[in-house]
Amino acid sequence: MTLTFDRNPETDGLAPDRVPAILRRGRMPGWPKLAAILVIGLITGLGSAYLAVDNAPAFDTLELGVWEARPLQGTGEADPYSAATHARTGRVPLASGEGLIFLARTDTAGARLSPACDYTLEGQAAPARLWTLTTLDENLRLTETDAERTGLHSRQILRRPDGSFTVQVAARARSGNWLPGGRDANGLVLALRLYDTPLTTGTGVANVPMPEITRGDCR
Amino acid sequence: MSAADRVLNRLRGIEALDVARAGAVLLAGLLLGGIIHVVVVMSVPHFVPVTAYARVATFGPDGMFNHLPDTRAGAEPLPMLDPMMLHAACRFDLTDGPLKIVAALPPPFWSFALFNARGEAIYSLNDRTSGNDGMLDVLVITTEQLSVLREDPPPGLEDLIVIETTETLGYALLRSFDGDPMRRDVKEAALAQATCRTLDQE
Repeated sequence: MTLTFDRNPETDGLAPDRVPAILRRGRMPGWPKLAAILVIGLITGLGSAYLAVDNAPAFDTLELGVWEARPLQGTGEADPYSAATHARTGRVPLASGEGLIFLARTDTAGARLSPACDYTLEGQAAPARLWTLTTLDENLRLTETDAERTGLHSRQILRRPDGSFTVQVAARARSGNWLPGGRDANGLVLALRLYDTPLTTGTGVANVPMPEITRGDCR
Repeated sequence: MSAADRVLNRLRGIEALDVARAGAVLLAGLLLGGIIHVVVVMSVPHFVPVTAYARVATFGPDGMFNHLPDTRAGAEPLPMLDPMMLHAACRFDLTDGPLKIVAALPPPFWSFALFNARGEAIYSLNDRTSGNDGMLDVLVITTEQLSVLREDPPPGLEDLIVIETTETLGYALLRSFDGDPMRRDVKEAALAQATCRTLDQE
């Protein structure tokens, strides 16, 4: 504001020692300025890097309903975020010649899966020679269950004549196809591993069936 | 002079150039932040203390298949293994020579994957794609070793699956589906029979 008042275009040009405004020293000396740049840089850089590595952004995700797979994860072609997450956790990926891991973190209505609730999986799984279904916690570790087994696989499951199936995810035993869940687990993620599936080559992704997840009773 | 006037005076004192300078500092900070972000993310894989490759060493000596303990909740030998699979892993070092991996695992399903020291998959196949009646017979070899081997090819080289790689360190992982508890001992015996040894180059 003051700029407009203390300037006179006729005399300004005559004043020999008048330094142009852009070259005048600012009110802030050099060191605090550098320190401010450094602090802003460190906070934003390290903070965003930590968030990104902790929770890799979903590049190259293959989505089938609520089920998500990352075919490139754990390969040399993975994006840097996925590679960093992968290296930090030391997870062993399913390679493309073996199969593909699909994870579900929400039910079909969009609500986050909770270990306090029962869920029903209904429908068909994508084509694969073999699949296994397990319950994991938020950090993708196996959940502790009361049952002897930790999962279900495609060769033991009961199906309807049309090939579709219903799986009950619950902490207590259920009749039919029961996938034991952990009542006190830290979060719930369902993992469907498809072994020897044509999906790994990226062909025929359209109209591939995957089970729908509906919430039942919650405690 | 009231407090409000003083604040107003102070605000008048701020020149447009000061605002621009502060903006420049903020912008420089954000740019530096971007550079730090990229450097940190890219360097994470190189500064991991315990890689999957390092963990495999705890299951037994290098150069042979070691049976991994059962995958159970709270005691997973390696993260993200399928609890319905039996696993065997073999760490290798190709500087000692090419690696020959032979396994004959029973149906219904098994798969084989090769990982480098950073835990990235470099090769994989399953019992269908092995193309050898469900037998696994592969040769893992560096480019230089392969050119040496080609000068005097050993008999049966064309029947092998030859995996040429630039990685000298890594591990091989065998998975055998364990859905039928009755046949579990058969699968465990077959996994124990699997070999992973350095080929003699003489």
